[in-house]
Amino acid sequence: MAEYDAIVIGAGNGGLTAAATLAQRGVNVLLLERHNIPGGCATSFCRGRFEFEVSLHQLSGLGSVEKPGPLRATLDRLGIMDKLEFVQIQDLYRVIVPGQLDITLKPDLGGMIHELQKRFPHEKDGIFAYFDFLYKLFTQVIGVFYFKDPETSREKYPLYYQYALKTAGEVMNRFIHDPLLQAAVSPYWTYMGLPPKYMSIVDMAAMFFAYLEFKPYHLKGGSQTLSNALADTIINNGGTLRFNCGAEKIIVKQGAVQGVITDKGEEIAAKYVISNASKISTYTEMMDMDQVPGEVRAQIKQCTLSQSAFTLYMGLDCEPEAVGLTQSTNFILGGTDPENSYRRMRVRDINDEDSMVLSCYNLIDPDFSPRGTCQVAMVTLKYGDTWLNVPPAEYAGEKYRMADAMLKVAEKVFPDLRRHIEEIEIATPLTHLRYLGHPRGAIYGFDHHIQNSELFIPPQSSVKGLYSAGGWIGYNGYQPTLDSGVMAAKALLTDMKGKQEDFHAKTNRQTV
Amino acid sequence: MQKQIVKQFDGYADIVKKIEIAEKKGTDFAAQKGEVAACINKLHPARIPLRISRVITETPSTCTLRLKADNCRLPPFQAGQYITLFLDIGSIRTSRPYSISSSPGRTGYWDITIRRVKNGLVSTYLLEDVKEGDLLESSGPQGNFHFNPIIHAKTMVCLAGGSGITPFMSMLREITDGGLDRILYLFYGSKTMDDIIFHTEITRLAQQFSNIKYLPVIEEPAENKSCETGFITADLIRKTIGGGDDKSFFICGPQAMYDFCLPDLEKLGIPKNKIRREMFGAPLNISGYSGWPPKIKPDDFFEVNVKDKGVFKARADEPLLVALEKNNLAIPSLCRSGECSMCRIKILSGQVFQAPGALVRKSDRQFGYVHACVSYPIKDLTILL
Repeated sequence: MAEYDAIVIGAGNGGLTAAATLAQRGVNVLLLERHNIPGGCATSFCRGRFEFEVSLHQLSGLGSVEKPGPLRATLDRLGIMDKLEFVQIQDLYRVIVPGQLDITLKPDLGGMIHELQKRFPHEKDGIFAYFDFLYKLFTQVIGVFYFKDPETSREKYPLYYQYALKTAGEVMNRFIHDPLLQAAVSPYWTYMGLPPKYMSIVDMAAMFFAYLEFKPYHLKGGSQTLSNALADTIINNGGTLRFNCGAEKIIVKQGAVQGVITDKGEEIAAKYVISNASKISTYTEMMDMDQVPGEVRAQIKQCTLSQSAFTLYMGLDCEPEAVGLTQSTNFILGGTDPENSYRRMRVRDINDEDSMVLSCYNLIDPDFSPRGTCQVAMVTLKYGDTWLNVPPAEYAGEKYRMADAMLKVAEKVFPDLRRHIEEIEIATPLTHLRYLGHPRGAIYGFDHHIQNSELFIPPQSSVKGLYSAGGWIGYNGYQPTLDSGVMAAKALLTDMKGKQEDFHAKTNRQTV
Repeated sequence: MQKQIVKQFDGYADIVKKIEIAEKKGTDFAAQKGEVAACINKLHPARIPLRISRVITETPSTCTLRLKADNCRLPPFQAGQYITLFLDIGSIRTSRPYSISSSPGRTGYWDITIRRVKNGLVSTYLLEDVKEGDLLESSGPQGNFHFNPIIHAKTMVCLAGGSGITPFMSMLREITDGGLDRILYLFYGSKTMDDIIFHTEITRLAQQFSNIKYLPVIEEPAENKSCETGFITADLIRKTIGGGDDKSFFICGPQAMYDFCLPDLEKLGIPKNKIRREMFGAPLNISGYSGWPPKIKPDDFFEVNVKDKGVFKARADEPLLVALEKNNLAIPSLCRSGECSMCRIKILSGQVFQAPGALVRKSDRQFGYVHACVSYPIKDLTILL
């Protein structure tokens, strides 16, 4: 039987950084990936003369060489910084409520506040106070979490203690009131999946802080470059990467990991497994229920699945400006009531009440598609539930109907969009389900309610040797998932080191 | 640490209450076990067992195999898509893509239509060795060569060459079966009258349905006066369809046909990017392509070291995918034409020649990945599967 020190299941962001970190430390690691290419969401596909980026929007936390963010250091330690070329994105976003609002914000605190105050002079003070609050709050979060202050207290971090469990909505309502203004400063809720009413204010603060302080970035060559670079770190450090091979079962005996059975029926021994698969398939598909600790079962039960997405990947036969695209990130909101848009996410339809984001990185990276063309991704969040019952024979038609409806909404802002489409690929919740293996095609793992956060659900379980990485523990997005893999690997290494020391201690005693 | 301080946060008790309720009322995800796999299987099964229910002789060199699902439902497909057959022939494990030629409306079976290729391993096997009742295995339907109502005009101008008729046969049958209001012009080039596949059926459908326009074009002029002769030219297309505006162009046939037809379509003012072309396998005469290193002869051999798996010699003009299959190192593959990226492998050292037009991702080029189906060894290689 083949044997490894550790097996990583899934080559998504978390699986890749976990395996790369382990390989760098000399651990004999095997990374299993069902698909023929690494990356999970961090991938691309080719159609005609276009290579479509699947999921990377506005990379956060990177920072510049002069002012590095945490992600830059992480990627540097993974030995891949010199293989990647980043471009700073010049806009934060353009946010449009058709007929009511059209404002573009820059990723700069002062400039952004100024622009908002110009448009909403009646809320001048509230705007300043709101962002001032977000910054103050997040500075305290940094003290507690990133600098790991060993002596936290309410006196030292009053805002954090007071607001850690509050929603963005209730805080925002205290500072600003015009619904249009609220809409203008909160479209990022769609990056988390929950409207301000349910989303944590700390999460909202984290997003603004990350984007304003470290700026949003684009990666040349797309996210597949990152995935390929991480795969190289694994290969070059003696790790083994096996494509076209999934994990069927995690073997657990007496609460401890023994190895993995692959989808080819091969049994591979290992005392450590890091699962980058969904938490649900890890615990309900790959493990026998009697081996899953009770607290894990309870934790999963209290969670609900996040949205999936309906996405159009489009290659246009013209420059972005020809269809009126002037910013790389464009939120088109379905009105000023995010809760209505949120309710619409359960409906298998698209109309002008839905909120969507339309990205075009040709504006900052002319190599994003061939000269004279541009690549546009348009996404709206949709829960996958209603897609399960679409009869197979009607599936293609349903895809086209939804795509047509989505284009109709976009055409209100970018009227010439449709006639310039040269290539289009439509991804539904079932597409995400197929490629990610996530139930209902959930792209953000579980809904990010405050009670489901890491404050209440620890990232790792009590199964000996089993660790988790990826978007099903903690946050989603590139920066968090890349980090999660490193964290899981570090936890594993600490345990491994402890065991080795125990072993040496024992053998020493015996020899003495 | 967090566990301790979280208890001191304002609102902690409320959240705990919410958790208690959620734990009681929450979802039993274990009860949904298997749901993901079932969903994928309904639309995109990885492997489908197919029973040959009929063998229909179309022309002296062509047969249709009618395939029925063995103990499962066939997943849906869009007219123009293909399936890949996975085959064990002698000691060789290989695969071949075939467009489905039956209508998507016929959900009980799939037809694939196979023309004999001279010395072709698989076509010979499928035309001579398999029989009704035999079991085959295929992929789910694949590919992007199909009508897309978002971007395509209702009038389709289809250019077929030889066995490249098969995806169009499915489109045509879909339109007539379903009474669709699309208009389909079919220009179908063949060498001789005998080579035309589906001639009787298409002729009948074109007589019956005014939205189907059929123009067979025969290469050999002496033979027949009842249809167009020569090649499918700009003049012929213009004469038949008028202008190219508000029409979508589809082309499927051997490389020689693309080389001839694409410039002619350009003469009509149809930009290349408005023409959807189906892939048609790896190029046959790769050493004749521009960029092929002149010093390397097609029958030169190079050593291929497959990391941790073995070493063999491979011919310069043979795709690596085929060489791997001949050496018992078959890797997953679907389109075998450079598009789908299933046979992606990493070149650790050495050099390959890649057929032009292969859809390789930018970062794959940066990190040394190629599509084995259209990559040819031009130096000794070390590769990683």
